[in-house]
Amino acid sequence: MKITRRNFIASVVGGVAGIQVTPLPWKLTDDVAIWTQNWPWVPVPSTGAVTEENTVCNLCPGGCGISVRKIDERAVKIEGRTDYPINPGGICPVGMGGLQLLYDDDMRFPGPMKRVGARGEGEFVNITWGEAYDILAGRITTLRKAGKPEAIAAVDGNVAGTTTSLLIERFMQAVGSPNYIKPASIIDTYETGNLLMLGKSNPMAYDLENADYVLSFGAGLLEGWGAPGRVMNAWGMWHDANPAKRKTKVVQIESRASNTASKADFWVAPRPGTDGALALGIVHVLIKKGRIDGRFVNGFTYGFNDLTSTEGQNQPGFKTIVLKKYSPAQVERITGVDAKTIIALADAFSKAKAPVAIYGKGKNNLNGSLYEFMAVQSLNAVAGRINRPGGVLLPSSLPLSPLPDFEPDEVAANGLKKPRIDGAGTPAYPFAQSLINHFADAINKSAKSPVDTLLVFSANPFFTVPDGGGFKNALEKIPFIVSFSPYRDETANMADLILPDHNYLEKMEDNVWPVGLQYPLYGLSRPVVEPINNTQNVGDVVISLSKAVGDETGSAFPWENFEEALQVRAKGLFDAGGGLVRYDSSNPAWKFKAFGNGQKPSYSSFDEMWEAMKSGGMWYRPVKLATSWQGLFETPSGKFEFVSQKLQQVISENSRQTSEKAALDQMGIRVAGVEALMGHYEAPKLGVDRSKYPLFMVPYEMINLSGGWIPTPPFLYKTIFAGQLLKNESFAAMNPATAAKYKLHQGDRAVVKSPLGQLQVRVDLFEGAMPGRVYMPLGFGHTAYDEYQKGKGVNPNNIVKALNDPVSGYPLWWNTPVKLIKV
Amino acid sequence: MKNQSNSAENGTQSSNGGLVPKWINLSLIVQDVSFFGLGLIGALIVGWAVFPAILYSKQPQPINFNHALHLDSEVVDGIEGDTPEEKCQSCHSFREDGSFAGIPKLEKCTECHDDPESPLGETPEEKAFLVDYVGHEKEVPWLVYSKQPDCVYFSHIAHVKMGKMACAACHGNFAGNEKLPLYVENRLTGYSINIWGKNISGLYLNKTYADRMKMDDCAQCHTEKGQEQNNACFVCHK
Repeated sequence: MKITRRNFIASVVGGVAGIQVTPLPWKLTDDVAIWTQNWPWVPVPSTGAVTEENTVCNLCPGGCGISVRKIDERAVKIEGRTDYPINPGGICPVGMGGLQLLYDDDMRFPGPMKRVGARGEGEFVNITWGEAYDILAGRITTLRKAGKPEAIAAVDGNVAGTTTSLLIERFMQAVGSPNYIKPASIIDTYETGNLLMLGKSNPMAYDLENADYVLSFGAGLLEGWGAPGRVMNAWGMWHDANPAKRKTKVVQIESRASNTASKADFWVAPRPGTDGALALGIVHVLIKKGRIDGRFVNGFTYGFNDLTSTEGQNQPGFKTIVLKKYSPAQVERITGVDAKTIIALADAFSKAKAPVAIYGKGKNNLNGSLYEFMAVQSLNAVAGRINRPGGVLLPSSLPLSPLPDFEPDEVAANGLKKPRIDGAGTPAYPFAQSLINHFADAINKSAKSPVDTLLVFSANPFFTVPDGGGFKNALEKIPFIVSFSPYRDETANMADLILPDHNYLEKMEDNVWPVGLQYPLYGLSRPVVEPINNTQNVGDVVISLSKAVGDETGSAFPWENFEEALQVRAKGLFDAGGGLVRYDSSNPAWKFKAFGNGQKPSYSSFDEMWEAMKSGGMWYRPVKLATSWQGLFETPSGKFEFVSQKLQQVISENSRQTSEKAALDQMGIRVAGVEALMGHYEAPKLGVDRSKYPLFMVPYEMINLSGGWIPTPPFLYKTIFAGQLLKNESFAAMNPATAAKYKLHQGDRAVVKSPLGQLQVRVDLFEGAMPGRVYMPLGFGHTAYDEYQKGKGVNPNNIVKALNDPVSGYPLWWNTPVKLIKV
Repeated sequence: MKNQSNSAENGTQSSNGGLVPKWINLSLIVQDVSFFGLGLIGALIVGWAVFPAILYSKQPQPINFNHALHLDSEVVDGIEGDTPEEKCQSCHSFREDGSFAGIPKLEKCTECHDDPESPLGETPEEKAFLVDYVGHEKEVPWLVYSKQPDCVYFSHIAHVKMGKMACAACHGNFAGNEKLPLYVENRLTGYSINIWGKNISGLYLNKTYADRMKMDDCAQCHTEKGQEQNNACFVCHK
């Protein structure tokens, strides 16, 4: 038989009929459906043994306790711990996204690396740890041999007082360089202010949980200020669903309707930088109405009333100046806040049983203004809120043992005598310990960089310093840059050598007194996963590096590893006694109990305590008020000083060389006499043609965006609104009235131009923005990390023109004169 | 020519030998039927024989583990348990939180086979195991016969401890195997043939529950044991 067309079709028909009575079409359809369920990009939860590991989050100085759930060896979820003192089960968005910082390969360094290609391109090649130590130790030794150890500088972003930070500082001393610099944060403002008014740099302790009226001067309570887990829990308590239980009123004072302001009971909007005047306006009303705490003010303060000086001259006191210069009408002119509101605030503050005035700027990543802080503290003092429940407490620092003293060798001793590059501690800035903005300035102004080798720890100054790109420029001039960052941040991309640290979940580290907490708490985080990459704990690296540099430096680090150094310090906790290593949320540490809360330490030896601390992550003592104000202050007068004698001493000393006016000028103070020694308001000298730059640019912070050195976990970009970031463009928020002047509508593109640079943004019309100001979020504008961060939006730090805060020398970053240009 | 006029009036005159009406072309019909039949038979062969052979891949397990040997108390001691179920659970155990650990990890094997240098028996399988896996601390990539899709939530503890079922009831008799069965996997879906069932027709007339592990098998058993409420969707598809 031939195969004709007809026969062929017949066989096809037969085939089709036949195939129907085989499993093929039926099973194939079913299987294809199942195949579509198993495509590789469909996320599937893994199976395996479930474990929960407790540790402490170290992404910010808040130190919330976290529990990490793992499936076999893979960490899958981070949640807040209920058995940790500071955050009863709560955690902030950045903390929740922490796993992405651990597992994002694109964002992390796989191990030690050295630069190939041009600087800034971020092209690196792998090297071994041995090679890395050789390169760096070699360079340091060369500088020491040449008698120039001061050409080494270190930027250390670790929180002051942590063991890592102390080891880095010690390393710089052993090597012989005074140029150990920390980026400025609010902690520096608190410390300096407390030093001047209380006589000691106590940890700032606000008893929020027991306050019934919280007057927040700029502190971003819901933006991430303090320990977010703690503050949000307190906020929940203040706003209990049951109105009968709700006893606390919150007043937010800032120029923009942030989340905190929107959710507070009242929002008061003074012009940025005038919070100090507002605080003193309230003080004025309290004094006028006789609603001050006479017992405290008269018995335990200095400088409130007029004094007769030793020469018989009348020296006006704090009271006289406040009454003269800060009446509600005068303050209204300065701040723009209604006189009636000022009086109402004063009334409410004085009528409350346990009010507190807290000071901050956004999240605390950046510094505040010293005089502003002093004004707010003066308000607390005048109302007798120092060392009272709900007010400002004065606990002693954590009783950690100091690291043992050591003698720097001759080369180091000579190097340490050289002046600091940043001018901190000089007559112009007598109380500053570090001035990173001046550091960059000094490098930019010299023909040849005074810094040969820069070491960068836990910081990303390229991105975070609000100096109009000053630090960025300085980095270009420094011959050799070493980054210890685990992440491929902007500063690390400029580096020549990388010695990457572990990610926070892979290392043991201490967290010393979360910001703003009112009782002593020492947190100890521990690794919850094995290190994923070839990284080393930076504490161990510093110890190894010191030994690699030589015997002289190595002898300053007589410990095998970082854990030993941690233990040396923790010994003090054991010796001090009374510390608890387990927490029960039914017995909160902030609940003041006159005779103690009945808990006794559950360990009898240091080793027992240390093991308990490693598993529990904490050592703390419940809140304790001092029995009296007597002996509480360590100022020259032994009392709370409205007018700081320490500051007076320093100005007198400086004046001896020149004149008082010259001394004040040098420190940037624009008032004279007693007013310069107390919290007050002074209008900054902008030095800019306001007709050319009629607006002000104010950076702001958000809880779901990291503006500091920690990258933002990519998940969080999904929480950003379309009016903040759209595709790759970030928005600047402004009042519709301001936008109308430039004929700008929602979503229009505009250029924000300051004397130092310009940025293109899209316009977001927001009635909560103060007219005349342009608000830009901190955290966008990265040019490093991974595809989720790179190239999204702009970084306001690049155009900030910051004047120096008087006395402290830190940047006044919240008032950059700008103009708007429609694109 | 005359024969092919096929006029209707002359019904008896045909070229076919007179058996059928002449307007029926017998040879054409024979051709049609034969080719149809060829196609049909071809399709049946493809559908019933070729298709299953291509669809399923056959993979041996990385190590040919001998269950019978390990459960023989005269050869291996250390497998605890009196009943067969307890014996199974001495390696395929429940964790403290009640979840089922499934196929044991290397640390279970190294409870006895801890030294790569000293094998406990004489088989080449054990040698390969010690060298390739224990020596490198590498988990054996066992191929799992009973892996259900991840839309299915199955609780072993509900069936073993509460339902008091025998392991062999669903998994068949592994205890007696000297060799691990061949792992036969559907190339398209990625699931083992133990789930879908070895009979390519999908029809089972006298099956045991160990033949197949699809949803209606579970449902049928639930019904038989008087637990129809467990056939609600959300019980297994959370």
